Amino acid sequence: MRCPQPSAGALISLSLLLLLLSTCSALYEDQIKKRSVHVGALKHAHVDLKHFQPRVLLTTQEQVVASLCPKTGQIIWRQVLEQRARGDIKMLQVSGFADGSSDTAAAPMGSHLGFDMLTVQGHAPALVRGWNTNIGTIEWEWSIMPLHTERAQDAVWFYSNSILYHVVPAWRSHIEVTAYFSTSGHTTGSTSKIMAAWIKPESCLLSGSYFVCLDGKQLISLDLVAKSTQVIATSLAAEPSSKIETLPGLNGVLIVNKKLVSVNKDQAVCGELTSASYVVGSFNYRKVVAYADLVDGMLKINAVYLDNCSPVPELQMSVAFAEDYGTPSLRSFDCKLKRNDDGKGCLFLFATSAESIMAVQQGRIRWAREESLANIIDTQFIDLPLADTEGTLENEMKGKAGEFIPRNGDIVTAFMRRITAQALQMKSMFLHLIGLGPPPTDTQRAGLVRDSFGLHKMLVLLTRAGKIFGMDNIAGKHHWKLYLPNVAGFENAEQMRLIVQRSSKHFPLQPLCAIVAKFVNNSNGVLFRFNPITGRAAEGGLLQLDYQIKQFSLLPETEVDFVKGILILDAANQVHVEPKHATPLADGMYLYTADVKTAELEGYIVKYAGGELSCLPIWNVRLGGHNSEQQIISVAGKNPIEHVHSQGRVLGDRSVLYKYINPNLVAFVTQAPDAAHKSVLTLYLIDVVSGSVIFSMTHRKVRAPLNIVHSENWLAYSYFNDKVRRTEITTIELYEGNAQANNSVWSSLQAPFMPLVERQSYIIPTIVEAMRETITERGITNKHVLIGTASGGIVEMPWHLLDPRRPISSSTQGREEGAIPYIPELPLPTENYINYNQTVARLRNIYTAPSGLESTCLVVATGLDLFVTRVAPSKTFDLLKEDFDYILISIVLVVLTSGSLIVRHLSSRKLLKQAWK
Amino acid sequence: MSAKQNSKKSKWALDFSVSKNADMPSPPGYNPTALVNQTEVVRDQRLVIKKSWDLALGPLKQIPMNLFIMYMSGNSISIFPIMMVGMMLIRPIKAMFTTQVTSKMADGAQGTGQRIIYILGNLANVALALYKCHSMGLLPTHASDWLAFVEPQTRLEYYGGGVSFI
Repeated sequence: MRCPQPSAGALISLSLLLLLLSTCSALYEDQIKKRSVHVGALKHAHVDLKHFQPRVLLTTQEQVVASLCPKTGQIIWRQVLEQRARGDIKMLQVSGFADGSSDTAAAPMGSHLGFDMLTVQGHAPALVRGWNTNIGTIEWEWSIMPLHTERAQDAVWFYSNSILYHVVPAWRSHIEVTAYFSTSGHTTGSTSKIMAAWIKPESCLLSGSYFVCLDGKQLISLDLVAKSTQVIATSLAAEPSSKIETLPGLNGVLIVNKKLVSVNKDQAVCGELTSASYVVGSFNYRKVVAYADLVDGMLKINAVYLDNCSPVPELQMSVAFAEDYGTPSLRSFDCKLKRNDDGKGCLFLFATSAESIMAVQQGRIRWAREESLANIIDTQFIDLPLADTEGTLENEMKGKAGEFIPRNGDIVTAFMRRITAQALQMKSMFLHLIGLGPPPTDTQRAGLVRDSFGLHKMLVLLTRAGKIFGMDNIAGKHHWKLYLPNVAGFENAEQMRLIVQRSSKHFPLQPLCAIVAKFVNNSNGVLFRFNPITGRAAEGGLLQLDYQIKQFSLLPETEVDFVKGILILDAANQVHVEPKHATPLADGMYLYTADVKTAELEGYIVKYAGGELSCLPIWNVRLGGHNSEQQIISVAGKNPIEHVHSQGRVLGDRSVLYKYINPNLVAFVTQAPDAAHKSVLTLYLIDVVSGSVIFSMTHRKVRAPLNIVHSENWLAYSYFNDKVRRTEITTIELYEGNAQANNSVWSSLQAPFMPLVERQSYIIPTIVEAMRETITERGITNKHVLIGTASGGIVEMPWHLLDPRRPISSSTQGREEGAIPYIPELPLPTENYINYNQTVARLRNIYTAPSGLESTCLVVATGLDLFVTRVAPSKTFDLLKEDFDYILISIVLVVLTSGSLIVRHLSSRKLLKQAWK
Repeated sequence: MSAKQNSKKSKWALDFSVSKNADMPSPPGYNPTALVNQTEVVRDQRLVIKKSWDLALGPLKQIPMNLFIMYMSGNSISIFPIMMVGMMLIRPIKAMFTTQVTSKMADGAQGTGQRIIYILGNLANVALALYKCHSMGLLPTHASDWLAFVEPQTRLEYYGGGVSFI
């Protein structure tokens, strides 16, 4: 299996395809699905160009083992391994690389060692796996279960001479070293205990076979494979300012204060080098140390021979480096094997702080993979700007920017304006045709123009690394990238937020997005405003706040520039509005915060008086339970852009059951350990304006993982039932009853009586990873629940299957209502998987957004992979079917019209003839 | 001669050339001296009244037939029952608008009564058809029929917030 590259066969098939293109039509538009496959941020890497099949072997933070093509960066194979601590990749060892025996990297790669590549994962049990690197299969596996599980968490492994050493430090006491034959897992002898009271968890690491600890201004180290356990102390010139690092490939060599230090007296290093990142490799059959630094936007790569520290001129290069990749660090390099090498065959592999993986060869960036996309934390769909001609039309229709013309004002002037606008449009079209029109803007040239159905949008993706992407949701192209260093998510596992402050509807004004995050250095709040179409900073870009953000909320649009202000509650319960001119709109806003650990909720009201904002606490709710063991595990509000079209449900006797649509209702789920029932899950529905608990329900012997969907008047949540060991989904619907208490306004402060609650539980024969409801422009279309399964599929589940009003006995009432009789198991037919075989590895979240078409909802599923598609829950009722026969219809129309004309002519002639008889 | 010629021409042909005066013989059996008999006029009047009562009661007489048709057609909504109901509804309404024509005959003493009965009968038919529509569920008489026009409630309070960031 080679890297994918055009071959003769491919060319033949391409020409065949071109031939066929004339006969077959393209993919139907609503079947467009895009998937991009990622591996995650780099952890271990090994470039191997000397192999008959050149490849880049790597493991990642996402616990993936993969092989990339060094020419293109495409994935040759990828294996997604176990999640969490169990799958944590501790070591990657490629056969014949960087071990004591064959440490000239030019040593032949071979299977005489019994493996191509081995990995060590997890600590209890620790899994050792041997891989076939050509096709990415596991060839053998063995595991060990350590005696002390908690101690084994800090265990480290190293490989030397076909032996795999398991090093378990018992901090401040001793080190246990066990040696195993790497391929079989048999121990070579008993575990040796080395007394070392000087080891501390924060300052120790393993470099090759040396266990090294930093103690003030000296390094204390121990060779674990040596016969005598002699402690070596190496003094440093100065106390290191950052953490010490190990240099893989050289036994006992460390990077301290950007310099190389060796604790191994057999290993000389070039101690005078200073660089941010080093890597060891071979060039012209000699060992070299390559190092790379970012200087004034240029990436400078240098190398020295290890034996005499003389520079290697062939490997010197400097590369223009884009800012949005972050800080690069050199992780691996390798050169093609040939005599008198000019260095052109050398490939340098970098990992960057923006979680990109990039390869540099021959003085340029050969390829770069955006692996931060494996950790998307928020997305938004942004409407594209109007085409120029439509823009002028819209502008004319609206009048000058800011100038407000009443819709039903003067009909004659409006009509005149329309005519002139269309004339202008015609003129611009004519100018465009003869090539005299204005040059298209950047976005237009990139094809970023709104389509008539609003299906083509800009997908803005915010990643955990702080990198933001602007992506075309149809072509999948990255139009722009931005990198925000030094920002992070908040406490309590709350991620950064991406919000839309101004949509594309206000034509001459550009749309505006903002990122709300925490500054790494002082944990104060940070706002970053940018234009989501061009990807450029707007409104001053990065704004550092001088307070911590506790919560925030979006305000209604201002009338001046249509920006939705951000109302921020700080740590001292003071409120701030950004931008400042939106401050009056914050009057009467309600805010709430939830403390996950104590399960306490606080409600506030914001008042604006005399130019000052104040925030008054108005209610608090304690969900902690009698012994304060309950912790909030999930909070689910409704989507603020949701429209509910149908206000009630028609019953069998044709009366109406009105929905309890409380826009201020938020669901809180708490979990607590319980002596009798293992764990207890409680759901609370709380009106966060008034603080009243509308409904609560307890599940016993049930635990997380919990996924929850809250929309309209219903709620669906999945959990794991410990008693019967399966995943279940409970659904709840709230109804007001046969009459509406107030049919014009909803006020939580004069809320109607308690709602009627319908509830039902279903068994779902899969593990649920994510759930989301579909959303459309006006809410007329049925709602489906998109369920992401652990196998990477996304199932579209119609609400009528999850309906809590499904009748248990098949009563006529239920049948007339259109409800299906209750069956506990939910069906998962394969045709309901919207991604077919394009599974999304490690599916983490599903996001939905309305399109311009009422029937269609845009979906993006994120995880390790990214999957973008659209769904039509009630079928595309507002579109002609894709197989609509235009030709037949027009032929029939033409034939009928012409036929009737001809027949009329004939009949009149006949009448005339008869009259003459 | 001419008569001979005429008879030769055609058996039924009239000879306009002969008779110049209007003194034409009366047709056989016609007695011009006989006056219109008053009693016969009265009897005709009675006949007309009887006839127009028949007409006026016609719609009422249709009711049992309509009831039978209604019973037979059932409450399912399909093309034939719908057509029947449509006919049942449209016919009496049409008939009512053509009352002027029918009542020409009933200009007599009982004309108003007949008209009232006629209209009542038609109205009864219309009511029957409406009842049929109702039992078929075609009339928007339930709250559920107006559900699509119920406006969503406007919200007075807005909230923001979530899990604390600190």
